[in-house]
Amino acid sequence: MLAVDDCRLAYPDFEARYTLHVPQGALCAVVGPSGGGKTTLLHMIAGFERPQGGTLRFAGQDLAGLRPSERPLAMIFQDHNLFPHLTARQNVALGVRPTLRLQEAEWSRVAEALRAVDMAALSERLPGDMSGGQRQRVALARALVTAKPLLLLDEPFGALDPGLRQDMIGWVDRLRRERGMTVLLTIHTPDDVAGVADRVAFVADGQVLAEGPAAAVLEPGRDRRIAAFLGRGAGAA
Amino acid sequence: MARLSSAAPERAGRRLPRPAPGAVVAAGIAALLAGGFAALFSAAGEGSALKELGPYLARVLGFSLAQAAVSTVLSLALGAALALALARRRFPGRSLVLSALGAAAAMPAIVVVFALVAVYGRGGFLQEALRALGFEPDFRIFGWPGILLAHTLLNAPFVARAYLDALAEVPAEHWRLAETLGLDARQTARHIDWPVLRAEFAPLASLVFLLCFTSFAIVLNLGGGGGRATLEVAIYEALKTDLDFARAAWLGLVQVALCTTVALTLHRILERPPAALTARLAVPRPDAGHPWLRAFDVGVLALAGLLVLPPLAAVLAGLPHLPRLLDADLAVALATSLVLAVVSALAACLMAVALAESARRPGASAIYGLIPATVLAVPPFALTAGLFLLVRRFADPALAGLVLLPLMNALAALPFAYRFVAPAMTTTAERYGRLASLLGLRGWTRLVLVDGPALRRPLAAAFTLAMALSFGDFGIVALFGGSELRTLPYLLYERLGAYRLDEAGGIALLLVALSLALAYASARLTHARR
Repeated sequence: MLAVDDCRLAYPDFEARYTLHVPQGALCAVVGPSGGGKTTLLHMIAGFERPQGGTLRFAGQDLAGLRPSERPLAMIFQDHNLFPHLTARQNVALGVRPTLRLQEAEWSRVAEALRAVDMAALSERLPGDMSGGQRQRVALARALVTAKPLLLLDEPFGALDPGLRQDMIGWVDRLRRERGMTVLLTIHTPDDVAGVADRVAFVADGQVLAEGPAAAVLEPGRDRRIAAFLGRGAGAA
Repeated sequence: MARLSSAAPERAGRRLPRPAPGAVVAAGIAALLAGGFAALFSAAGEGSALKELGPYLARVLGFSLAQAAVSTVLSLALGAALALALARRRFPGRSLVLSALGAAAAMPAIVVVFALVAVYGRGGFLQEALRALGFEPDFRIFGWPGILLAHTLLNAPFVARAYLDALAEVPAEHWRLAETLGLDARQTARHIDWPVLRAEFAPLASLVFLLCFTSFAIVLNLGGGGGRATLEVAIYEALKTDLDFARAAWLGLVQVALCTTVALTLHRILERPPAALTARLAVPRPDAGHPWLRAFDVGVLALAGLLVLPPLAAVLAGLPHLPRLLDADLAVALATSLVLAVVSALAACLMAVALAESARRPGASAIYGLIPATVLAVPPFALTAGLFLLVRRFADPALAGLVLLPLMNALAALPFAYRFVAPAMTTTAERYGRLASLLGLRGWTRLVLVDGPALRRPLAAAFTLAMALSFGDFGIVALFGGSELRTLPYLLYERLGAYRLDEAGGIALLLVALSLALAYASARLTHARR
């Protein structure tokens, strides 16, 4: 289980205080208004932001003192996931060994990860010669070769059109089921993950306001901020 | 019938369309170039003149290329190391270091000459201090050491600022990726820093090379004779000292040919957005804690301090001498410089707006967009030499200087002014072009109502930068300058030549203060726009 308990972050213009529990192997969609603290939550779990209190654990392991590279997680951002001067294959290989000096068996793992996201045919392409969806699939392949059990996705498909977005979420769902990964995915439109996400966490004003099955969390009567996010602010008021 | 007669004036109007403002500017520039180079050709005479010049030309070319190559290597190496050190480190006074770099990069070349002579010259601070300690220093600033030091002092800070801007553009995600993947210092350099440095290398190297290759004030004053002359200096000597116009013409043409080749590479730079103040890195660099890198960065920063701070201190030391300088000569030179700078900047901005306005017409962007690059390819000194030959047939060269000087300075500033103005005008055309057409907004009305608000800042930035370039210029004025026409850089040159170093110090300080204020204003305006 990913357990975030009362983790606090303070900035000059923003304060956050998170508590969230995601069962092992679950896909949890993090939704909420822009500027509400979704990305900050993921950055804190990844180790880019250090909480000033509380505990952060995954599978019983305390993550607080670990550097990002030592944590049992991989992360995919909305953009700039690939180094532009490296081919798809090299970008994936970075996840195995940053020196890019890989053994034969390790290159096979890279090839297998690219096959898993249907990118084997484009393995020698540079990111500049790929579409947005292809680039994100290469990033996903790199997350797979790292073999880390926790995958954080920070609005990774926001720039893609709706059809491609659905395809990509399908890829993530299939791969996490095959490999037993826990996935935390921030997303703008909850409908995109309907039927895929096991849980939904609603984040606003630097807090997880509600967490649980989608139907229970995205209930307009639960909180005015949830109602406003769903576009039913007036009715709820 | 009535319909026909009412349509007739309309058709007649169409037969004489108003020329595009850019076309007028282009025709004017073409006429200047044609006139200047026709004069050069006419003075050059038969081909044998070039043959006679062979060994001399080879020597000048060899020196120009060699000093430019070494200066470029030194500037790029130190600039890149400095940029990396500043990108990795956060320390108290860092913004002061950045300001010092900006100050060094914006110093007029003639001020750099003064500063180096004041520090490293025979009577300079350093040699005086060594003598006071009982040493007998045998160091000559004139020749290769002075030229390389001056070029590195001017260009390494510029390269550092450019690289620092480029490094600040690295997406925050790449630094976070480096952290999650556990990249060490060497891998960070390989996958993040090196691609940035490599991407900027060609345009920066060609720009620095071109600046050093055409260097005038520095080589003229610090060359120390003995055949150490760039093509610019050789043209100047041919015109002013030897009165050998044929030699000046051939040298000018050779320089045009060489600079055109380099400027074709530079065209890429003009397409880029204007550089501004360095953006703050959104995330700390994960390699900042590496002990070897820390030692390396401290060493580089110390070296840069040794290079930049003594000359800056030498300029600041001119402060006590300022009150003594306040005479008629200074007042006239200051006023002349300011008037010439304002006129040059105004002309540069008007030309840039006219070209940018015409460039956004369908199918015209390639033609009009290329004109500023072409001007960059033509060395102003060679063109001035041609125009000088032309004008001296009809008018007193000193009086001609009053017209040619701001005109040539405006041409020299045009590529930079265009770089500020053109993107803003293209953006307004993209956003409001159709709306303006629908509403029938054209010409001046459109410029004021639609482009005006978007152009205010870029135009102000272009104006101040063009003023700064013109204000500190010591190149073209060397040809026309004298008792009738004396700018502040020319006055500094005269005082330096007469070994009146105290007065030169005061003038240098005034020159630097005003140039810096203008360059700073331009950078602030650009930064605010971004």
